Amino acid sequence: MYLVANIDTGICAATSCKLCTQYCPEANTILYNNDAGKDKGLKYGSAYVAVDRCKGCAQCVWVCDNMAKHNAIKMEMIDQIGDTALTQNVTYGEKNSSATLASPIRG
Amino acid sequence: MSLDYVKFTPGFGKFMPKEYRDMVEHGPFGKKISVSQVGMFKEILEEHPMCAGCAMTLFIRLAIIAFPNPEDTITVGTAGCGRLAISQAAIPFVYGNYGDQNGVASGLTRGLRLRFGDKPKDVVVMAGDGGMADIGFAQTLHSWFRKEKFTTIMLDNEVYGNTGGQESGMTNRNQVLKMAPLGKKFEKMDMLGMAKVAGCAYVATVVPNNPRRVESVIKKAVLVAREIGPSYIQAYTSCNIEYAIPTDKVMEDAKTVEDDRYKFSEYITDEAKEYLSQLYGYKEYLPKPATAVGKQ
Ligand SMILES: Cc1ncc(C[n+]2csc(CCOP(=O)(O)OP(=O)(O)O)c2C)c(N)n1
Ligand code: SF4
Ligand code: SF4
Ligand code: SF4
Repeated sequence: MYLVANIDTGICAATSCKLCTQYCPEANTILYNNDAGKDKGLKYGSAYVAVDRCKGCAQCVWVCDNMAKHNAIKMEMIDQIGDTALTQNVTYGEKNSSATLASPIRG
Repeated sequence: MSLDYVKFTPGFGKFMPKEYRDMVEHGPFGKKISVSQVGMFKEILEEHPMCAGCAMTLFIRLAIIAFPNPEDTITVGTAGCGRLAISQAAIPFVYGNYGDQNGVASGLTRGLRLRFGDKPKDVVVMAGDGGMADIGFAQTLHSWFRKEKFTTIMLDNEVYGNTGGQESGMTNRNQVLKMAPLGKKFEKMDMLGMAKVAGCAYVATVVPNNPRRVESVIKKAVLVAREIGPSYIQAYTSCNIEYAIPTDKVMEDAKTVEDDRYKFSEYITDEAKEYLSQLYGYKEYLPKPATAVGKQ
């Protein structure tokens, strides 16, 4: 098993500074859903990780902790993460992207 | 015209892989996209085998996002780590033999101008410090002296990363590396100084811990190379493997090195300033209004 980044939607959607994705070395990996968290009254939307593209470097964790100071990202074992975003479940919109969540183990 | 190749052959769209469909339908081709919008559009760089957490990877990703007209851009690279990613983008990539990249780009730029006239096709070389300052040194310098109109970007990780840690001309003095166990005996080469002497119209240093700045210098360098002359960007893109930087400390290292010896610098000729301000609205390069006599 291996580690991937996992973003806490509750923390991220309270501010959604959009910093981490500018620093992730991998393209199309940290994406944004402007509607995430709206059901809980959070207004800014949240970043999320397409875990099949994540190489587990934890640079985003450093950026969220030290630059954004939001501590919203944790590295977690891929089999412990529950349902999450995968490239094949991502839909791009006009100015947004979203993903239906699925198990990274079963796909 | 060139947007023609970023669309589906009629009837074939639904058979294409999802990544390809996303790229055609939600990619940056023909649109004005900026780094601040990442995560909301499909980037044209795909998966590649560069190391996890490599700053060079991040820089290449940002550079490709910053290309002013990706649908009209051709990249040229050579042996070294960077080509492993640059070649995995949905824009044409030409592989020059090790060190030949600026020679190849010279011929390509001239050929494209003959073929397409004044319709801009942007040629961008991205290669390592070894490929550019050591083995390709003569070709790099001569392309500048000949005023070839393309952009040269050095991915300066201060080592031969792809072959396991030999020193390059761009390695710092006294630096010990796996294949330089006694430490380097000479100073880091002044490629920035040489670029200016050789006649580059735009020269900048940048570190990827400031994505907006990477975007800004890449755009300017590519635009200047269209009309004015050669442009050169030297980017500090650490090798976390050969310099043993933990991947979650790569941006901390970038910041330290930027503050210490890789400060942002920009050199631009008056001709290039005028061109950027007149044609592309760069206000910072507009001539300062002369103060009216008698008014203070
Ligand atoms: C003519 C030739 N000589 C040597 C090599 C072997 N070679 C491949 S990559 C490389 C070093 C690359 O170092 P650099 O250009 O600094 O790029 P980096 O991998 O550090 O990004 C060498 C020497 C080659 N491919 N071709
Ligand atoms: S840096 Fe943290 S708070 Fe900011 S967008 Fe990324 S996960 Fe959300
Ligand atoms: S761990 Fe690395 S590759 Fe994965 S999302 Fe974070 S920055 Fe990107
Ligand atoms: S060897 Fe160094 S420069 Fe090459 S991909 Fe790995 S970390 Fe990056």
